[in-house]
Amino acid sequence: MVVSRSGSGVFSPLALAGILLGALVALFPSRARGADTEAALIAWGHTIAMQGNGLPGNTACAECHRINGGGMPSVGIPRIAGQTETYIYREIRGVQEGTRYSPYMDGIVQNLSRRDIRAVALYYSTVRTPKLNDPASYDPALRELGRRIAHRGLWDRNIPACILCHGQDGRGIPPNFPYIAGQSTTYLMGQLISFAVVRRKDDPEGLMRGIASKLTHREIKAVAQYFASLDPPVYGKIPAKNRPDRLRLIPEKETPTP
Amino acid sequence: MTARSLILVILLAAGFLLDPRPTGATGNQNFQFFAPPAEGTLPNGPLGRLIRQGELIFIHTGQYAPRYVGNDLTCESCHLDRGIKPYSAPLWGAYGTYPRYRSKNHQVNTLEERIQGCFRFSLNGTPPPVGSKTMKALIAYSFWVSRGAPVGLYLKGQGIVRMSKPARPPDPLRGKAIFEARCSLCHGLDGQGTQSDNDQVAFPPVWGPHSYTKGAGFYKVSKLAGFVKMNMPLSKGETLSDQQAWDVAAYVDSQPRPEDPRKAKGGKS
Repeated sequence: MVVSRSGSGVFSPLALAGILLGALVALFPSRARGADTEAALIAWGHTIAMQGNGLPGNTACAECHRINGGGMPSVGIPRIAGQTETYIYREIRGVQEGTRYSPYMDGIVQNLSRRDIRAVALYYSTVRTPKLNDPASYDPALRELGRRIAHRGLWDRNIPACILCHGQDGRGIPPNFPYIAGQSTTYLMGQLISFAVVRRKDDPEGLMRGIASKLTHREIKAVAQYFASLDPPVYGKIPAKNRPDRLRLIPEKETPTP
Repeated sequence: MTARSLILVILLAAGFLLDPRPTGATGNQNFQFFAPPAEGTLPNGPLGRLIRQGELIFIHTGQYAPRYVGNDLTCESCHLDRGIKPYSAPLWGAYGTYPRYRSKNHQVNTLEERIQGCFRFSLNGTPPPVGSKTMKALIAYSFWVSRGAPVGLYLKGQGIVRMSKPARPPDPLRGKAIFEARCSLCHGLDGQGTQSDNDQVAFPPVWGPHSYTKGAGFYKVSKLAGFVKMNMPLSKGETLSDQQAWDVAAYVDSQPRPEDPRKAKGGKS
């Protein structure tokens, strides 16, 4: 398995996506019925992603997040491909509970069971997609400011460097801290503003609410476009050491079991 | 009445005149604390390169000074913001206060000797010799971020905040509950830290074989409490009460960690 950094590996993201899609297709015929093997869950997750789970209100995730989870940069629908299962599970639960503000999703996810959420989270953690074009305007004058906030922070206002929690180059410290590299400017700005005005409140310790509320609009734009300019990681792997049972998970302690 | 306010005005004016903040080159808009030179003002040439090397060692100590580091910590694990953040023992608060007599080893120590102590006790490693490239680079970096700071004077934000005695004796059991609720997200319920996606150390282990030794400053509950109080959780300094800071420090320091190298090796400091 190629699990190296995107771009630095021998495979182009597209080739990689092709290989993995092939592997995924190869899995389908052997989809176990009844027993919740990982393959069966992924297959069910795939179904939900493509057409919903059939219950009222629920619709295909792919309508907005695309088949391979690339999202829609133009309107700020996030990229979810390669976020970890644990994180995606947590965020969908957050939307259900109302701690993660999402006017589009909150109706759609109400009828998802825990098993459905786990399945779809698992599915999207395994799909691969190249970074999609971000049509948002890019302000070259904010380039240095964005870089600085990302790598140094603004400590005089107690704002740590983003990379301290979101990992080197925004690649995440899974599962508690998602990757933000390669998300669209619109999405990142939207979430920062949402944290700042406390509409989104699923952040552990209120860390992001605290930080976002101290950023000016100019700084939000600068840091969002900076991370949007980077490449996302290609896979949703949790580093061996970061087993979710070692880390307190937000917004709830439960482990993602069906 | 007027005499008193006059004295006040004079004192304030004196405060402003004695303000150690260098004029011009401020990269930091917060005038409450000493501000190191702005980024991008690093001199060219050998000194600039040495300073930059020191900065890299400071941030990625295990990577740039591997032979001197014995655990998963870096300089920046304790000296936040590359040794600049107030109340996390900033370099600019230390540079001008050495040589200094230290009760730890009953000697007058130079800054080099103090840095050697960091490597030995906090990084559980081997002290880089005075005159080694690593030490030279660290001294150069310390010098740079202290440019304009007065020598031998107290600066606000230097060192670790001194905690007043807690109302109740620090209790590791209460501390455990606080740690699990507020620290484990990053440091893990078992205190062993977190890895980044490419398996590098992300959040440092705070006890256990890869953390600081029993000879480190943070093995003193009061010191660790002062650090936690002002800096933890990251970006949320001063949100724990004093009592909570004491309790969580007592818990962390009650956990197993490498022996004090002075005792482990039977040597003297």
